[in-house]
Amino acid sequence: MARREIGEINAGSMADIAFLLLIFFLVTTTMEVDAGIGRQLPVKLDINLPPPPPVNERNVLKILANKNDQLLVEESFVKMEDLYDIVMKFYTVNKSGERDINMPLYEPITKEKCRAEITKLQADLVKSPDNTSLPGEIAKWEEKSALVDEVGVYSEIHKSAVIQLKNQAGTSYGLYMEVQNILKQVVNELRVIECEKHDFPDYYTLREDRPEDMVYINMLRILVPERILESKIEN
Amino acid sequence: MSKFKKGGKRGIPAVNTSALPDIIFMLLFFFMVATTMKEVEMKVEIKKPIANQATPIEDKDNVDFIYIGYPIDAAEGTEPRIQLDDRLAPDVTSVGDWKKSKVRAGKRVLDIVTSLKVDKKVGMRIVSDVKEELRDVDALKINYSADISK
Repeated sequence: MARREIGEINAGSMADIAFLLLIFFLVTTTMEVDAGIGRQLPVKLDINLPPPPPVNERNVLKILANKNDQLLVEESFVKMEDLYDIVMKFYTVNKSGERDINMPLYEPITKEKCRAEITKLQADLVKSPDNTSLPGEIAKWEEKSALVDEVGVYSEIHKSAVIQLKNQAGTSYGLYMEVQNILKQVVNELRVIECEKHDFPDYYTLREDRPEDMVYINMLRILVPERILESKIEN
Repeated sequence: MSKFKKGGKRGIPAVNTSALPDIIFMLLFFFMVATTMKEVEMKVEIKKPIANQATPIEDKDNVDFIYIGYPIDAAEGTEPRIQLDDRLAPDVTSVGDWKKSKVRAGKRVLDIVTSLKVDKKVGMRIVSDVKEELRDVDALKINYSADISK
């Protein structure tokens, strides 16, 4: 008895269907991109430190966001659109000479200054070897000295210049993020300018996980420091 | 007679199964790719704020997520709540212990980024409390989650 002819199943196109499925999922599963603004929280110090030295008002930019989502900068109401200009002014107005008495000063950093500071700090370290903050200070000045080697004399904002952010318990997170975004934008744009000025690679291509990029990132952090101080919520 | 055998009754060739291992590999690759999507059941509603200066998070393996928003289940109240993994935290003090429990081999707590996904209407009080908890356990690297554009 002749066997019934069993049709040949062409299994070759099963692979094509599997490819299609794979490509479909490859495309759809990469749609969610997690993005955000990165920040470093200040270390919690559990020893009681002496009160910090009084800081000149001109070096502090006070931004307060109240529970009605209004912005107060230096005690006057400000619209969100104007915040960018104010922060940019804080960072740049006195860069080429003192133009505004209410904004922080800039100081040119030269090789001699670095050397003088390092010598002074090393002498202090000999006198009080228990001071744990001195080695950190020395390291910072050595970094600045290396930066002067790289880019020449540069202008640095006053060392106590800081942007102070205060929020109230009812301030909305959306407003807080808008402020954070503007602060980040100012720093990013100034760093892009510095990258172009000193022939660094493109700022937005720098990655923290590549050591050769970290060299540039650290230099940019000295040239355009991101100094934000967030106070605890009071009420 | 011809040198070539006439076809005659051809035997039926068996199903060509050489493609089957390819399909298995493909399924494997699919799961290798698809399992980087972390599906966490959201117990809180979150509408992320928009920040055009946000940068994409590259290394998702070294990121812990904290979700803060209004609970989806009305029985949990109308106050913003914290979701850790897939449970609602009873209060903000459990954040410290949770973060310590998320320790990964070979990495300090300091190296792991904590991503805060917060609804834009939530008040800053709870966010500030979470940040203080993270400071207490030395989890200093944080990332405010936001969409780069609408």
